[in-house]
Amino acid sequence: MMPSKKETKTAVKLKNLWQTTKRLTGFMKKSSLLISLTIVIAIMGTIMQVLSPKLLGNATTLIFKGVSSKAGIDMHALASILITVTVLYIGVFITSFLQERIMNVVAQKTTYELRNQLKAKMNMVPVSFFDKNSNGSLMSIAANDIDNIANSLQQSLTQLISGVITVIGVICFMFYISPLLTLLACIMVPGSLVVVKIFTPKAKKFNKSYYKSMGDLNSQIEETYQGFSVVKSFNGEKKSLQKFDEINKNMYESGWKGKFFSGCVMPLMILVQNVVYVLISAVGAAFVVSGSITIGDMQAFLQYSQQFSSPLSRLSMFWGNLLTAIASAERVFYLLDSEEMEDYHKAFSNKKDETAKVVLKNVSFGYTEEPLIKDFSLTVKDGEMVAIVGHTGSGKTTLINLLQRFYEIKGGSIQIDGMDIRNLDRKDVRKKVGMVLQDTWLFSGTIYDNIRYGNKNARPEQIYAAAKASYVDEFIQKLPDGYNTVLGEDAGNISQGQKQLITIARAFVADPDILILDEATSNVDSRTELIIQKAMRRLLKGRTSFVVAHRLSTIYDADRIVVMEQGNIVETGTHKELLSMDGTYKDIYQSQFAGNNVTTTGFTA
Amino acid sequence: MLRIIKRLPAGRVTIAITFLLLQVACAMYLPYMTADMVNNGVTKGDIGFIWKQGGFMIGLTLIGLVGQVLNPYVSSRIAFNFAAEIRREIYEKVLSFSKNEYDKFGAATLITRNTNDVTQVQSLVEMGLKFLIISPLYLIGGIVMTYKLSPRLSMVFIAAIPFLISGSVIIYKFANPLYEKIQTLLDKLNLYFREGLTGVKVIRAFGKEEEEYAKYSNTNMDYTKTAIKAGTIMSFFTPLITLLLSLTTIIIMWIGADSISKGTMEVGTIMAAITYTAQILLGFALLTSVILVIPKGQISIKRIYEILDMPLSIQDLKETITPAKKSLEFDQVDFRYPGAKKKTLEDINFKINEGQTLAIIGSTGDGKTSLINLMARLYDVEKGSVKIGGIDIREIKQKKLNNIVSLTPQKSTLFMGTIRENLLMAKPDATDEEMWIALELSCASQFVSKLKNGLDSVIEKSGGNFSGGQKQRLCIARTLLKDADIYIFDDSFSALDFKTDAAVRSSMKKKLSNAITIIVAQRISTIMNADLIAVLDKGKLAGLGTHEELLASNPVYQEIVNSQAYKEVIV
Repeated sequence: MMPSKKETKTAVKLKNLWQTTKRLTGFMKKSSLLISLTIVIAIMGTIMQVLSPKLLGNATTLIFKGVSSKAGIDMHALASILITVTVLYIGVFITSFLQERIMNVVAQKTTYELRNQLKAKMNMVPVSFFDKNSNGSLMSIAANDIDNIANSLQQSLTQLISGVITVIGVICFMFYISPLLTLLACIMVPGSLVVVKIFTPKAKKFNKSYYKSMGDLNSQIEETYQGFSVVKSFNGEKKSLQKFDEINKNMYESGWKGKFFSGCVMPLMILVQNVVYVLISAVGAAFVVSGSITIGDMQAFLQYSQQFSSPLSRLSMFWGNLLTAIASAERVFYLLDSEEMEDYHKAFSNKKDETAKVVLKNVSFGYTEEPLIKDFSLTVKDGEMVAIVGHTGSGKTTLINLLQRFYEIKGGSIQIDGMDIRNLDRKDVRKKVGMVLQDTWLFSGTIYDNIRYGNKNARPEQIYAAAKASYVDEFIQKLPDGYNTVLGEDAGNISQGQKQLITIARAFVADPDILILDEATSNVDSRTELIIQKAMRRLLKGRTSFVVAHRLSTIYDADRIVVMEQGNIVETGTHKELLSMDGTYKDIYQSQFAGNNVTTTGFTA
Repeated sequence: MLRIIKRLPAGRVTIAITFLLLQVACAMYLPYMTADMVNNGVTKGDIGFIWKQGGFMIGLTLIGLVGQVLNPYVSSRIAFNFAAEIRREIYEKVLSFSKNEYDKFGAATLITRNTNDVTQVQSLVEMGLKFLIISPLYLIGGIVMTYKLSPRLSMVFIAAIPFLISGSVIIYKFANPLYEKIQTLLDKLNLYFREGLTGVKVIRAFGKEEEEYAKYSNTNMDYTKTAIKAGTIMSFFTPLITLLLSLTTIIIMWIGADSISKGTMEVGTIMAAITYTAQILLGFALLTSVILVIPKGQISIKRIYEILDMPLSIQDLKETITPAKKSLEFDQVDFRYPGAKKKTLEDINFKINEGQTLAIIGSTGDGKTSLINLMARLYDVEKGSVKIGGIDIREIKQKKLNNIVSLTPQKSTLFMGTIRENLLMAKPDATDEEMWIALELSCASQFVSKLKNGLDSVIEKSGGNFSGGQKQRLCIARTLLKDADIYIFDDSFSALDFKTDAAVRSSMKKKLSNAITIIVAQRISTIMNADLIAVLDKGKLAGLGTHEELLASNPVYQEIVNSQAYKEVIV
């Protein structure tokens, strides 16, 4: 999804270049004072920098004249020039320090802002956004692209500013010393351009293929290492190595070529510079001999020609950097511009006297244009437990996503306590509706904080009580750090079963009116499973609940079973009623649940 | 570090350095010639000499260019080739790991070491080949050339160097801990952002968006503050070095003027010395930038060599035996994970023969997967032995053992590519017909045949475009396709519904009637028909027998059965 988008993005890059730049500068508005200050400082610094060669040149002239006139060198005049230059140098030191420091602040503040906005945006987009964009590409934008922007802003921007000012200042001085020599120095510009034009596209081509092979190689490595046991046990090493070698070779070939071509640019630029340097030395020397310029001016001019060429050759590099930064900014802005969840401004009709807890009325919904759920109606009483049963793809998960308002319905209405949920703040909906999901997401932090996640005002006693109610207290106590045990990034340090119990404890602490449960089918051993069932039953007690059922116990416990097929309710009733109907439920029951019965024959009696 | 240097091809490195020397020599000699031009040409008004000297200088520049272009030609090849070799070496080494070594690292760090760390070392080599050699040359060359022009002036440089060094050391001392902190904070920022993505549903369900944002934003603030602090210190660096060298220029001017007035020096000499100042500055700046990279590179080198130096715990014996009979026996086997205090498995004894099915059941952490890993020799036993056909598996060639055993790990693992490619892993010369039979056996043929491209349908990264049950069935098909003697299924039926589970098992039974089948499962229904059931309890064999036998007499087994039948009792 993302890569193709990136491709087209780069294609239209030039068109959006200006707009993106404008928008990026918009982010620096808060720092606009600082930026103007930097420009002023940069101008001051550059002027001082440009002045000093001329003054040093004057010193040389002074010495030269002193020698040739045999009157001796005027050491006082020399001293005063040198002191002035020293002051200038100190000035340059201060200004260039300030300039870098300020731009650092600006760059950091800008990316700080970008990062925060991006994070905030992730809270605003609908859940469907995460189905469309892979975590990998989102992470890459949040980490790499933002980093890239920070670096380029900091380096390229100061260099661009001072570079441009230096070039202008230097040209002025050079022109002042000798217009003819200046023309000679300007040969550098077309010369450098030719070098860049010839080598940069080649380097770019190879670099691009280098990065592509790098990506390929990384995924090859990643896959082999993640599927380590399988590769080993199928004797797949040789084949993997072959594939690896192929990509590795491409990477080597394109890598060194790209480096070589981009490595050639600098020396060739320097060659152009040196040729010009020699020409200026020779012609300048001739001028000095003929007396049209002083020796000091010639020395100054040589220094100027170097000051002139170094920003010139670097400008192209920084320009390139800036372009990639803008490409990064474009990807960031693309995310920032993604569609947010709708907030309804119009009021939907509520039904104040509704006695049922949850009412779904003629609900229709589809992730795409094609409706997945059509004309779905269901009324649930307070405290009722509804089990949802159906084959994969029948719309079970979609239904609970709608109840949580992760997606907005396309037609009909959902009411909780008589209130249309679209009239409520999403926050309020979710305060009423709690859930325990199939994927047991815990964040990196202590177990205590993870349980408290459901309600940050919970007192310690409530946390411990919730853990006890979920039968996980004992396990936690046994850990060396108890409740303060820090869970790793994917909570790899505790088992799947314990994770589920902690998520149940979390739901206890949240204490919602309505509970949604997507039962896990994961590999939990039967004794742990039994504990989970007990904890779940406790959690469900006295609450209105919707359970996507995978457990036998759930369908027995349920007040009502809703059988779904292709987004519609096909049957409802209790387990016994439905079984006697000899319809879809019976079929599902036998394929999904009934297996457990076999084991018990001869034992339960 | 030394080991890296030893690895580099000496011949080509010499060539690269030669070109570099050529380049530096030319660059060093140019100002010297300028001085000559001023002293003998300009001062004396000899235009002819000026042009002659100018011609020489252009010639010299061109020679320098040859060095400058050929050096990257040689050195970039050295660096990239070096990286390619190291990368391959790591990959090959990891592929030779047993599970034991693999666990010591874990997939995540192996991946970073094989990719990022190698790139890090590559850039160190690249920079080293260039700057580490060029910068001392500029430094020393500049001083030597100035000494040649005027010993007195060169003293100024020598006096300036301690200042330069102490200046950089101080800055480095202050900045380095900050950079370490920045890295930690950056990792934390990325972690929080990633958690926001992986936990989006939970975060929203609990209405925690603002809290998550605050957490992220606070770390972002910390990060920004630290980055600004570090940046401020680094902002000192370049201007400071420039200032020090500029002051050197002024001192040179002053001393030079004094010498000239005494008649011991010429004007051109001063001009050349000033140019050398610029070159020394360049050399110094390059040197510091390389030195800053070295510690980072060294960490990477260390991390790479940790892999390359890892001794292999499982290696083939010199003389290997191929078992003739099909049977599997555990003889008083003890096993513990490296470094673990407690034994994972203790005193395991059983034997099964051709055509039989062994089922293993027990709670999480009771050692079921460990037991299976021992069969495939992903680990070695601590005591006792695992025998196939009466032969200790440590005496069998690993490649051969892998052909004898066909394993389906707990986590369904599919590789990017097509269904065909994934199946061919098991049997490279399998025909389409054979593949379809395997798919049929695992109840996967139905959904595969519905796919537009059939066997050539694309499998995305980690099989992302298939459901859990479909992935499991594809993995089972792959296991069945292999012509093995022992087929192992580690909880490979968990995502299948009861109907499919039963169907797969019954078709398997026919296909594997001459082989040994090992099944790990949670559901009693999956294993109750096995010839032999091993009940594991805290690493020990708590029971061994058929379903009926165990049900009658084994309390652990009864408890497991009871827990699954729990509801039935109530109803």
